[in-house]
Amino acid sequence: MAKITIDHRVIECSDGIPVLQAALDAGWDIPHYCYHPGLTVVASCRLCLMEMQLPHPKTGEMGWVPKLLPSCQTPVRDGMVVRFDSDLVRDNQKSCMEYFLIDHPLDCPVCDQAGECHLQDYSYKFGSAASRMADQKHTNPKKDIGPKTLLYSDRCVLCTRCVRFTEEVSGTHELCSVNRGSRQEIDVFPGMPLDNPIQGNVVDVCPVGSLLDKDFLFKQRVWFLDGTPSICPGCSAGCAIRVDQNEDVVYRLKPRFNPGVNDWWMCDEGRFGYKYVHDAKRIAAPVLRRGADATTPDWEAIPEIVSYRFAQHVAKHGDDKIAVVLSPMMACEEAWLLVKFIRGVAPSATIATGFVPTSGEAQHFPVGCKPDEAKFTILPEKCPNRRGVELITERAGGNTCDFDAFVKQAVGGAYSGAWIVGGYPDEWVPKDLTKATKHLKLLVMQDMFENTLTEAAAIVLPACAWVERDGSFMNHTGKIQPFERAVRVPQGARRDGQYLFEIAGHGGLYSGERVREMMAEEMSEFSEVGDAPPKPVHQH
Amino acid sequence: MAWQTINRNEPVFDADAPPVLSEAVREKIRSFFPRYDTKRAALLPALHVVQDTLGHVSWKAMAEIAEVLDIHPSDVFDTMSFYTHFWNHPKGEKTITACRSITCELLGGREVLDAIKKHLGIDEHETTPDGKYSLVTEECLAGCDHSPCMLINEKLHKRVRAADVPALLAAADNDKIDIPRSTLFDAPQESQRAGSGSADGKTDDQVGTNVAE
Repeated sequence: MAKITIDHRVIECSDGIPVLQAALDAGWDIPHYCYHPGLTVVASCRLCLMEMQLPHPKTGEMGWVPKLLPSCQTPVRDGMVVRFDSDLVRDNQKSCMEYFLIDHPLDCPVCDQAGECHLQDYSYKFGSAASRMADQKHTNPKKDIGPKTLLYSDRCVLCTRCVRFTEEVSGTHELCSVNRGSRQEIDVFPGMPLDNPIQGNVVDVCPVGSLLDKDFLFKQRVWFLDGTPSICPGCSAGCAIRVDQNEDVVYRLKPRFNPGVNDWWMCDEGRFGYKYVHDAKRIAAPVLRRGADATTPDWEAIPEIVSYRFAQHVAKHGDDKIAVVLSPMMACEEAWLLVKFIRGVAPSATIATGFVPTSGEAQHFPVGCKPDEAKFTILPEKCPNRRGVELITERAGGNTCDFDAFVKQAVGGAYSGAWIVGGYPDEWVPKDLTKATKHLKLLVMQDMFENTLTEAAAIVLPACAWVERDGSFMNHTGKIQPFERAVRVPQGARRDGQYLFEIAGHGGLYSGERVREMMAEEMSEFSEVGDAPPKPVHQH
Repeated sequence: MAWQTINRNEPVFDADAPPVLSEAVREKIRSFFPRYDTKRAALLPALHVVQDTLGHVSWKAMAEIAEVLDIHPSDVFDTMSFYTHFWNHPKGEKTITACRSITCELLGGREVLDAIKKHLGIDEHETTPDGKYSLVTEECLAGCDHSPCMLINEKLHKRVRAADVPALLAAADNDKIDIPRSTLFDAPQESQRAGSGSADGKTDDQVGTNVAE
């Protein structure tokens, strides 16, 4: 640890980190564009310049250096004295802001970034109201630089964060900065567009409205969006994300800083993979079948119906003929509640872990790096909570099995009653399992889309998307991460957690935190999950 | 100009067409590798070699340089576009580079430039219809003590007068220099290293009179 003085205030920070980082962590709002903690330092934007004290070469007396120094490129040393609250620093910030805006088209009313733009914020806070630029501005057309991204060169401040991202994090090198001086701009080699599995991050690192997502373009003004901390369910990596919604419609997902898991990044698969949430084909109401007759019962009646059906079934066929399949799309809390219910009515019921969708192999970035040196990894397991569900299955004890064994036994007619949980965005039901439905006299299906199993089920319960639920996922390293509810469920549906909570015999409102407290009594892993997600290490 | 869009998704050259860099050119680029720690460091010499051979560095040539140096074509584009020396489109047989810097301007550089434009009937960054001359301006040619000056290809012409321009441009050998600059970019040969001075025994001063620095 080092002690340094910033603006007459002594702060403690780790040795060797940039002064800018130390100041940002301690709460200063230092303007900066090119600095990003996940990328190399280039000190090109000159906004974060500071004054520093150094010993006089002759007398050794400490004094302010006449020249401004970039705080992003100056490492912290113990005893260092710097200041940002001087006229010299403020004048520099003002001049820089004027310079950044020389060719800026000032098209904020039609710019997607408006509202979360650091040109706006810094101009307001550190710039001046008027520009002295009398000549005509340089203008250049926007560029379609890839299938998912647009580049508005006019708005660019040439911080080169995006170029460094493609060089250092994705390792794909698509972006480059071409020409020089006032003609410099960001570009790609024609015919080799920005198209890699994590390219969406260049939009996040862009501090201005230059790089924009085609997917989000002109969809929503950002000040209408509410962000909710969440965890991406796209693969078992468990990237921390923010769900931006307005009036229960999700408009975009953004990564949250999560050291050691996804750092600052997320993949495109996760970023754009939420579209199924608003699919009109989703099951939005419970269905109760008696022969060919299907009705939609009241939610209030569901706990009783389900308990009664299972109790009746156990009385008739014995409790070892019942199985429950826990989907890795479920939150830990939901899986635990379901296990509690099933073991309550049928103590020797079989608990099986659900189908684990996989696709391809792990993709490590930068491209071509060794797995242990990867800065970002997309995992092949396309579900968020396999380990959590396995843990709950294991702790449940008694009869347990994996999905393949369950399918085999079900086809063989080992079970007469089952509760199968799906909740996958894609088609998932294996053919064998469909064949097994003829043995299942009582089938409860909890799924998001219609499939052969929901058609055969006696009771169908809608499974909700993760943005509509709250709970926690355990990622592939065994880290349990909570996620919050971002939007309300579709009309007619109810959160999985809520109905499972009621079915398991609890009253009142379900909340992930409340269930985690109950779980913590038997599983110590869940005692500290409620911890707040880590604070972002810098503003943008 | 956000209402206009440049589409960068479409290739600008035919990838299946025969390569534009001959094996000899590639070999020459590779001969620079031992000089540097990394292959990508040979990018500038490679660009010079290609421009000297083909007259300009086309998109296809950039992609092929990238292939030889084992880097992404965008890295070549990045470096190449920084230098006005490198041309992306074909230029004329001879390139006239007029100085527009302050010393030349004060001593009649503008008149020389106007005379060239008038004589050739082209503007800056243009090529004559017969493909003989291309015209560009540059900030400084490092010949301020002999202003106004201009380059024809690599040959530096000093103290040019507007009246001399027609005769100068008509002369067939107006770009003849004793040591082509491109040879300076050759990988050093053992024989050259052993001897002192430059390849033909001239002193550095004499080289300077012939070669744009």
